[in-house]
Amino acid sequence: MGNPLLVFWMRLFGGEEEPSSRRLRRRIPFASAAQASATIFLILRRMRAPLIVLITIFAISVLGLTLIPGKDPGGQPARMGFFDAFYFMSYTATTIGFGELPNTFTYPQRLWVTITIYLTVIGWAYAIGSLLGLLQDRAFRHALALQHFTRKVARLREPFLLIAGYGQTGELLGRSLDALGRRFVVIDRAAERIDALELDPYHADVPGLAGDAGNSGHLGVAGLGHPYCEGVLALTDDDEVNLAVAMAAALLRPELPVIARTISPAIADRMRAFGTPSVVNPFDCFGDHLSIALRAPATYQLMMWLEDGPGAELPPRGRPPAAGGWVMCGYGRFGRELTADLRAEGLEVCVIEPRSPATGDISVVAGDGFEPGVMARAGIEHAVGFVAGTDNDTTNLSLIAAARRVNPKVFVAARQNKPATAPLFAAMGVDSLLVPTEVIAHEVYAQLSTPLLWRFLQELPARGDEWAARLIDRLTDQCGRHLPALWKVRLTAVEAPALQSWLTAGDARLGDLLRSPEDRELRLEAVPLLVLHGDNCVLAPEDDLVLAPGDEILLAGRSTARRDLETTMVIDATREYVLSGRHVPASWIWRKLARPGSREEPRLAAQEVSRPGHHPWPRRGPHAAGGGRPRGRRRAGGPSGG
Amino acid sequence: MNLEKVIFGFFVLLAATLNFGFFIGDIAESLLHNVYELFAAIVVSLIATVLKFGDRTQIGAVHLATSLVADLQLIAAALVWGYASYVSSAGLTPHATASVVSLSGGALFANVVSVVLLVVETVSFHRR
Repeated sequence: MGNPLLVFWMRLFGGEEEPSSRRLRRRIPFASAAQASATIFLILRRMRAPLIVLITIFAISVLGLTLIPGKDPGGQPARMGFFDAFYFMSYTATTIGFGELPNTFTYPQRLWVTITIYLTVIGWAYAIGSLLGLLQDRAFRHALALQHFTRKVARLREPFLLIAGYGQTGELLGRSLDALGRRFVVIDRAAERIDALELDPYHADVPGLAGDAGNSGHLGVAGLGHPYCEGVLALTDDDEVNLAVAMAAALLRPELPVIARTISPAIADRMRAFGTPSVVNPFDCFGDHLSIALRAPATYQLMMWLEDGPGAELPPRGRPPAAGGWVMCGYGRFGRELTADLRAEGLEVCVIEPRSPATGDISVVAGDGFEPGVMARAGIEHAVGFVAGTDNDTTNLSLIAAARRVNPKVFVAARQNKPATAPLFAAMGVDSLLVPTEVIAHEVYAQLSTPLLWRFLQELPARGDEWAARLIDRLTDQCGRHLPALWKVRLTAVEAPALQSWLTAGDARLGDLLRSPEDRELRLEAVPLLVLHGDNCVLAPEDDLVLAPGDEILLAGRSTARRDLETTMVIDATREYVLSGRHVPASWIWRKLARPGSREEPRLAAQEVSRPGHHPWPRRGPHAAGGGRPRGRRRAGGPSGG
Repeated sequence: MNLEKVIFGFFVLLAATLNFGFFIGDIAESLLHNVYELFAAIVVSLIATVLKFGDRTQIGAVHLATSLVADLQLIAAALVWGYASYVSSAGLTPHATASVVSLSGGALFANVVSVVLLVVETVSFHRR
């Protein structure tokens, strides 16, 4: 299997893992497609009158010309034939005008031609005007766009994601997915956003449909029934629509993973009633993130960095406040979630809210935060943290200003609702900013980019702050302050054919694999983040970790490192150099010629030379089975060939 | 009474009758086939075709197809006639006339199918 051609063959025809799961269970009705063809029929119907007028005018003109007597050059009476008449009318009506052919016209003929010229100009103007009017017609253009979209989606021949809702979140996520080389199809209610899609600098072509995502017909057209659809993302800002999308996906394609956005726990419950969608609640996420940020700033920094996607700069490490009281302005859905999270961290929270809610044991100050005296009553001067969490950006900004006037050193967390106010919040220098759209995009990206990254992020908080800080140092040492690409390798027979014998030998150290094929004394510029062995995972494994066949490794590193590692995994000669430092011929014939008379596999001998202290002989292969241990030892020691 | 149906039936039937009028007579004798009748047949057939645009029913689709066939045949006949009369040095020989008339005969068959469809449509409409 060391032969790249064989690997290619295996990839083409050997993979029997995926297709069965992609089988389409049932057809999704294409209501919208029928609608589109209906519009085209309507357009054809509307072209009837102009076309008939044109045909009639033409027929009358030609007939008249053939009937009216003319004269040939000799003065003899001669009538125009149909061919001459048709020819003449064709060039006259289209305003080309070659002159009077075949003979100079008589006055009766000229009279008739004068009439026909005006008639045909009217006929053409009417027909062309109607046609242009139809092309401008909104319904017609929409029908054309729908047909175009349907064709594009139907022709997709690689796995794609169906994204319902292309607002802020969809755009952010789309860019990250595109950078990963993933395909996706977009459906959004606003036509402007779909138009904007064409201007976005994506590598791949992104089909976009302007339509209601809650309509299952539209979802069907957008590829819900497509065999290559690999997931559905409901990211609209309307919870009802997201619920409808999640429902449609769960009922029509139960095997597809669904990620849905919502800010309401009730809607989340209703979504979970259909299958097992992964529900992303930005307020919930932010609460979790904030409590991690307060407890372990380095862990939080690492999480944010990895979720930002390739190329992101290392975010600054926050300085969390000491334990103490918090003041929360706004007690809506966000306020409730965050208060619960902060109290779970053991912090005192005082809520400022105009309408006094029935909250039980939470201390509430009634009033607006920016009114004089209210902040003081909530105890802002002794508080360590302040949250501006209303759904109005102007209010949030003035709340922050009011809080800082009283207590300049307070830790400020704020919620930014509209993208337009982003510069204002940046100028304010908020310590922890919630932008719901970004939180969702990052969360969904982490779930989708590779399953191992999601696993990594799940396990990360349990590792502690110092561990995360060390890993950040390792990453910045190896790859700089911009997040390198994250990728996954699987040490299976298909993806790593050259490594199989090394892996099964039982002494496959991770550090050996990550040497550079150019100079094995150098390390590849890649950091292993996670090794998944069966169901156990090792986070940030050390170099002496022993690998086994079938392990999956999540790596962060430059793309050159990725290519180098792939070479090591596939090509025998490179593998041999990287693992043992020996140069072996790449082709089978040269290998045979290089060691005439030897029936041993070169790599086994090589391994023994490179690691004399470890296993003297791997316990597998024909030699071990034949019980030839002493003979093998003798041969490896002195290759006399006897 | 539906005016649209009247106009539609009128043109379909007129296309067939004009076509028949041109077609009837000795196939090689040009005196028996008036070229004005061919012209009228083409024009009426084109109008009938346009009238059939935009009908979504199955029978409407077949209607349109037959009309397109008739147009094609008639226009081919006109082209042969034009070639024989103006381009070819031999003029409108019996051979050329036979070609023109037989092409229009093909169109006649398509027009007959059109009429049959019209009748079928009408009858089935009454039965409902």
